Amino acid sequence: MESANTLCPGRKCKGGVLAHLERLEAQTNISNRKSEEPAVRKKESSLRTKIRELRQQRDKLRAEVKQWGARVKEPPAKEDPSRTVISEQEVLEREWRNVDAILEAYRFTGLSGKLTSRGVCMCISTAFEGNLLDSYFVDLVIEKPLRIHHHSVPVFIPLEKIAAAHLQTDVQRFLFRLWEYLNAYAGRKYQADQLESDFCDVLTGPLQRNALCNLLSFTYKVEQRCQTFSFSARLLYEDPTAALPTNVTVTRPGVEASSPPWEEHRASHQMLFRTKPLHKVFASFSKETEKLHLNLVS
Amino acid sequence: MDSETRELRALEAEVAALQRECRMLQNAGEKASGAWKSFQKISQSDSEEWESLKDLRSQLEHLRSEHSFLSKLTGFNIRNYSKMEDIVNTEETEKDTKKVLQKHRLSGNCNMVTFQLEFEVLEMETKEKKSSIITDLSIIMEPTEYSELSEFASRAEEKRDLLMFFRSLHFFVEWCEYRENTFKHFKEKYPDTVYLLEGTCSHCMEIRSTRQPGFELVIVWKIQIDEEGMVFPKLDLLTKVPERALGLDKNRVIETAPLSFRSLLGVLGIEAALDSLIRLFSGDNN
Repeated sequence: MESANTLCPGRKCKGGVLAHLERLEAQTNISNRKSEEPAVRKKESSLRTKIRELRQQRDKLRAEVKQWGARVKEPPAKEDPSRTVISEQEVLEREWRNVDAILEAYRFTGLSGKLTSRGVCMCISTAFEGNLLDSYFVDLVIEKPLRIHHHSVPVFIPLEKIAAAHLQTDVQRFLFRLWEYLNAYAGRKYQADQLESDFCDVLTGPLQRNALCNLLSFTYKVEQRCQTFSFSARLLYEDPTAALPTNVTVTRPGVEASSPPWEEHRASHQMLFRTKPLHKVFASFSKETEKLHLNLVS
Repeated sequence: MDSETRELRALEAEVAALQRECRMLQNAGEKASGAWKSFQKISQSDSEEWESLKDLRSQLEHLRSEHSFLSKLTGFNIRNYSKMEDIVNTEETEKDTKKVLQKHRLSGNCNMVTFQLEFEVLEMETKEKKSSIITDLSIIMEPTEYSELSEFASRAEEKRDLLMFFRSLHFFVEWCEYRENTFKHFKEKYPDTVYLLEGTCSHCMEIRSTRQPGFELVIVWKIQIDEEGMVFPKLDLLTKVPERALGLDKNRVIETAPLSFRSLLGVLGIEAALDSLIRLFSGDNN
């Protein structure tokens, strides 16, 4: 940039050129006058010496012009390597930023990592649908046998079991397996948290859960047609890598056999819990109630 | 005017012209030398920065090797990534809530499947918590012939579940490789009985009877991805039997074959089930 500026002179430099020319003309006039005086006096003999002198001067000037010309042309020729030096730096920097951003973008795949002096520190991200949740790290030491140096995986995730099964044979499989466990856990926890925070008015008692969040039990009420239905639900996630329950039982607390409308609701709730995220099931309950309220009002 | 005077005049003119040219060039040269000086300044600082350039190069080398390591380890090779300007939502819907919307564009491949993703991440920060939500996701994948994949992609888009997309894609690709290797293995083991009409990458394998021409079994091996993004294989058996033989099949062996195949799979697993089926059909009972 700097060199480009100096190569593109402004008006100031242009004025400089003209001033130079004026000075030059004045100088040549003086030298002409000076050379005329001896020419008058010595005429012919001096004419020869004058010619000789002028020839010498001419040759000297020619050489000078050649030299200057070469010097003027030279810098741009020499500037090319300078440009490539600068642009190489630019290219390297651009490339560096590019690769750095790509490495950063790995977090969006769920598995990202950073090389360490002894191996790699992997970061495993979790999400439930579009909600990005907690990340966990596993610091791997790459030597034989491979081992986990540090990690932030919760104790109730069977990390050792997963490591024993895959770490030595297939690191990729180990990571993906662990990711499945972590993501499912995060997903179950997220659903339970959402239920507790957004639908506390529907829950009739505290939501009970184990650490792995694969066993949930809660009681809730649903209002429909001005009637209040109370249920208790027990959700079991037998597959620790699943975010939807495998076993759902919905009962009416304290009642053995239900009457038809109750039974209908019970069965439909059971089905909903098995197929839809917990908080979405409750959102659908409240929507239904709202719809009914609207119907009653109109 | 004699020749010497003429020469003198000519020389004088030439000298004057040369002097003028010389000064001009000198002038230009000074400017150029200004450029030259600034260049030298740059290259001087460059020579100091030469070390940093070398440094940059080695750093870049390090990043590149990190990238290639990560893409091998995860199986995802991200080739391009760009983040578009942060759009800060100044609209104060809630007090003390900071919202930032970022647009991301990412492309790469997972083995033979290439993907192009565009997504938006909304980051919300309140005093109590910070949350990130993917608010928009669009997925383009190639090749498009995997119908299972395109269905799955639209489901992932609907749920905006970016991580599920990557996880399931990994397992899908893994299953595809396994299917390909299994088909290849049987084609090599039983070249006269096993036919892969659409190549090893297809989901069909034909088993032809060498003793009874016209009798054929087709194994249709699909890889399905369910709502939750779980990937699992689904194998079916189709039979191609001459109609006359169908009439003679009193025990309805052919009719019940698909069901029997299912239970065989459950008992033996994919490879052993296919192997026993091929041996049974080709009459090679050893």
